[in-house]
Amino acid sequence: MDGKTANANPTILDRSDLPTRQPALTPESRLSPIESTVPTYPLDPFTTSPSPLSSTSSDDATPDPIDAQEIYDLVANITDPEHPISLGELAVVNLSDITVHDAPHSPFSHVQLEFTPTVTHCHLATVIGLALVVRLRESLPARFRVDVRCKEGTHSTAEQLNKQLGDKERVVSAVENASLREALRKMMLSV
Amino acid sequence: MEARLYILNVEKDPAEAARIAAEAAQRIESKQLKLLELVQSIGEHLTDEDTTTRAKAIGYLAAVLDSLNPRTLTRHQIPVVSQFLCDRLEDETGLKSTATALTALGKMEYFGKNEAIMVATALVKVDLPKHPPSTRFMALSLVDALMARHRDALKEMGDTWIAGLADLVGGEKDPRNLMIVFSVMKVILVEFDISNHEELMFDIIYCYFPIAFRPPPNDPHKITAQDLKSRLRGCLAATPRFSGLLFPRLIEKLDSTTSSVKLDVLQTMSACALSYGPGTMSIHCSQIWDAVKFELLVAAGDEDLVKEALEVLMSVAISLSSGIRAYPSPNTPLARYLKAIVTECLNLLKEPQQKQAKPAGQIVAIVATASAVAHAFIVKSTFPVFMSILSDAVAITKRRALMESLNLMFEATGKVYGTWSEKSDPQPISNLLDEYSEKLFEVYSQALMGSSPEETSYRLTAMRGLGLLTKMRDYLADSEIGMVVQYLDDVALEWNEKEEVRDEALRILREISTYRGKLIMDITFPAFMARLPDSEEHMDEHKHYRATLEALAKLSSERPLFEVMLTRLLNKLDVILQENCSPDYPRSILLTVLYVLRGRATSPITSEEAKAYYQRLIPRLVTKTVLPLIGKSQSSTILADEKVVDVTGRLMVIILQNVDGDLQKSVVSDVFNLIVFNQPSSLLIDNSEAVAANFKPLDIDAESQTSTVAVLLAYVLASSRREIALPYEDLHNFLQKIITVAENPKTPSHRLALLRIIGLIVNKWMTQKTDIEKLEPVVEGLMKDITTTNGGFNNVSGERLRVVFWVVKALLMRVERLGLYYISKLIELLGDPTYGDMVSRGFGVLMGDDELLNKQHYAVVRLLAKQQVFSLCLPKLVDGFKSAIAETKPNFLIALSNILRNVSSSVIKPELPALLPLLLQSLDLSDAEVKAATIETLHVTLLESADALKEYASSVITRLLTASGVDKGTGNSPAVRISALKCLESFPEALRTELILPYKRDVLRKLMTVLDDPKRTVRNAAVDCRHKWFHLGEQSS
Repeated sequence: MDGKTANANPTILDRSDLPTRQPALTPESRLSPIESTVPTYPLDPFTTSPSPLSSTSSDDATPDPIDAQEIYDLVANITDPEHPISLGELAVVNLSDITVHDAPHSPFSHVQLEFTPTVTHCHLATVIGLALVVRLRESLPARFRVDVRCKEGTHSTAEQLNKQLGDKERVVSAVENASLREALRKMMLSV
Repeated sequence: MEARLYILNVEKDPAEAARIAAEAAQRIESKQLKLLELVQSIGEHLTDEDTTTRAKAIGYLAAVLDSLNPRTLTRHQIPVVSQFLCDRLEDETGLKSTATALTALGKMEYFGKNEAIMVATALVKVDLPKHPPSTRFMALSLVDALMARHRDALKEMGDTWIAGLADLVGGEKDPRNLMIVFSVMKVILVEFDISNHEELMFDIIYCYFPIAFRPPPNDPHKITAQDLKSRLRGCLAATPRFSGLLFPRLIEKLDSTTSSVKLDVLQTMSACALSYGPGTMSIHCSQIWDAVKFELLVAAGDEDLVKEALEVLMSVAISLSSGIRAYPSPNTPLARYLKAIVTECLNLLKEPQQKQAKPAGQIVAIVATASAVAHAFIVKSTFPVFMSILSDAVAITKRRALMESLNLMFEATGKVYGTWSEKSDPQPISNLLDEYSEKLFEVYSQALMGSSPEETSYRLTAMRGLGLLTKMRDYLADSEIGMVVQYLDDVALEWNEKEEVRDEALRILREISTYRGKLIMDITFPAFMARLPDSEEHMDEHKHYRATLEALAKLSSERPLFEVMLTRLLNKLDVILQENCSPDYPRSILLTVLYVLRGRATSPITSEEAKAYYQRLIPRLVTKTVLPLIGKSQSSTILADEKVVDVTGRLMVIILQNVDGDLQKSVVSDVFNLIVFNQPSSLLIDNSEAVAANFKPLDIDAESQTSTVAVLLAYVLASSRREIALPYEDLHNFLQKIITVAENPKTPSHRLALLRIIGLIVNKWMTQKTDIEKLEPVVEGLMKDITTTNGGFNNVSGERLRVVFWVVKALLMRVERLGLYYISKLIELLGDPTYGDMVSRGFGVLMGDDELLNKQHYAVVRLLAKQQVFSLCLPKLVDGFKSAIAETKPNFLIALSNILRNVSSSVIKPELPALLPLLLQSLDLSDAEVKAATIETLHVTLLESADALKEYASSVITRLLTASGVDKGTGNSPAVRISALKCLESFPEALRTELILPYKRDVLRKLMTVLDDPKRTVRNAAVDCRHKWFHLGEQSS
């Protein structure tokens, strides 16, 4: 077996057990295939143009806040650097380890994400942490402070690692590194 | 003489040359010419200085021989001609012609063993590799022909032939020639004694492995890499003598990093394993297992590789199983092979939730499918362990993972011992899984019914397992299968279950319905029907009856089940109609029937079946719709509600389209009696006289519900073929009558039905020139008060305008000149401040596909009709837009977007230069629908002909960015924002990087704000879009 592999045989969660956003659908609002056998005509195409979009688009009256599940969905599909398996399936990221404080009109919102390397000596923890930071920075509005850290007691060099991930300049210079950049690009192909 | 003529003509006039040869052949057959004379006549050319003349001379002989009846040449002539041609083989320039001639000669009846040996002996002396491919092709074709007809003679030649052949074909590179070489070599390897030349033969063949061939463009021979691969594989698998040389090399090649090579290696291994036989495979099986398991357990490549690797392991097991009819004793190769596999995999499966357990489970299951004896060995050596893990393990993840692997085993068992739907051959050894059936049923039932509903994947796994256990032929007892059905019913009807869980339960029930339909009728249907409330009062607040109906529909695709469901649903409908209720519930019940009938697309409804459904369903429904309206029934009038009548009409369409012409015709006349003529109609089961007297749906002052029943007329007209004459004598009169009703419609669906009736009559039944002539004043009259209006908007005029659009639509489908004339008029009306907006929307109706007025419902639709209308309209719209006042300009853009939405992108493409400026202006409107449609057009353009957008990239990107910003009266609905982002996301892949790189910074900066959009779906689209642009310009390796 390949000596470089940090963990050749990790435990895997089934996709259907990963946390997903439960659609706020009651059986009433769910469009059953039987009901949709027949089109429901708009009142009159001559006064309002028929639109396939109007049924699916919700209006802007009720904003959706950014929550932990949204953060989870942003990162859960990142591929692990050594298995073709997602960080969600490997339980490297877990919904319960994400906290979000969203204050829409203030500059003080923040996201904290604690990740769990598959083994405590995992030498790829840095790359994983970096990928998480990069992904969240790239995807969240500027008002969010992003705090990615290794979950306490899950890695032998957690303290050092967290310092690295918290240091903006070190993150920026790490991303400049060509081979690291390529590794990150590959991990992100599945997002 | 002929020889000379042939030589002169063969290049410049091949047809003439062929004629000369054919004529000579005929003369030989009729004995006017002797073959020997002909041979002599070419003799003088054979000493010609010019090499091509010599070749052509032999070519003449070849052509003549080819045209001869195989019986013409005598026993005495053949050896002479053979000898003559064999001597010519020494003349290298004529090789191609000589080989052709010999191939033709070989087909002669009296060409015998001695001649074959003579030719073969001469042929192997030829230095073939130095000749061009087309010459080699002819020589190889000769070899092929000899091998086909005189194989025994060649066998007698022994090593001379084999070694000689090796020289002939060695180093061949041309793909067409290789196809022959491989097929010849396969015969040699299988039938000839190659014991002295094993390595030589192997080297000749193996040097082509792996094939890395890409056919040149326009290859006339159409040989694919796959063709070559299969033939080469056939050679490698032809003789077990190769095994010692081949397997080590294949195993080495498995380290390749190219997955196509790996795939080829694995497929070759499988082919060899299946053909080499158990003796040979017993020597190599352990090294193969070691190599292939690495691929599965460690490398874990893509799905194809996994599949092929598993296939290899199975093929080896199949090979080792051959001839074994009883449980394999420990020292047999099969037992040793399987034991090695089991030891390793079982170890991994003890921690089933870990990554390598999954392939381990796949391996165990696939080797178990190899044979009944392999299955027995696997079950006996693994199941005791599996069962003890199941009884010890508490952790659900662990149990679930193991059950996943067990499910694979159940599938394997189904393959070996058969399922209810697929019987297997009788097996020599009984199914050892039988002894676990009770325990497995218990464990799986417990997992499904005894665990928390939160455990989605665990219960899904358990459910699938139960499905597989049920499916295995003669495995579970009938009482157990009945219990499985009950469990699945409970799951499917439990509204708190996740949807995917309920769907899976239904899927399995549906599968069971194909082999145990009776259980579904006896257990599931009553359980489901009991959940349908008898009235609205009993309805739960979530209206779960919809899901119940959906489940019933999904189970009723087979005819017997459908018929049972139909009876039960109609009875339920009667009960519901006893009391007043909203239209939704009866409508859903009828929709359920419609859903099943529509789902029958794969097995069309026969006319006999349709007739039966018609008789059971339609008169009953129509009667129940009409009688309450005239007070002849105490039941609810709800079936006459527009929402319900609509579904009744659609049921009529799907049934009537499948009945025979006679019934169709009588239904048309019945529906006219009921709705138009107010005469007794046999669409009614009773009271038809009373209905004729009191039910007048086309009266202007009829009650709204009564009027609505006229909708049925639209559906019946749609389902009628054009050949069925309408019972109304003067169609114009009838049309006029409908138009009058249409001027004051009662409800939106009433209006739509009347417009459709108008469109259907015009398109399907007013096809004569005189009809059209009479139509013109009608349309003119309708248009008149619109064009002369100077007051405000008038409702009746609005309705008339709708009628005009439908008449024009019906005409344009046939590309009638009158239609083309009125479409110009309508474009002019876009500039009208009162009606312009309405007209602009009308273009959506005009160009859109209607559900009833279309080709499937027998309308006349000319080829490319839309395209013609489009090219007529476009310049007029562009001009109209330019000259319009600011107030009406948007009307032209809205009309345009309504047209574009309904024509295919290939039609739009050539017009893009004229269109793009307008499209960009449409994006500045604050109409969400127009924006969405325009972005859609731009997106399709970008994906299909990005070049057209090249010079507009800057303005398009800027406008899309604007359109992705939150709605502040700009018409940027969330849907618009999302489609703008999706379109923007396609730019990095659609256009060359250097063209759009300049916009990267701007896009990323602007999208930063969109990341903070109030709607989550928009944010998600923004994240994806920004991600694409973020990586724009990076090297991708």
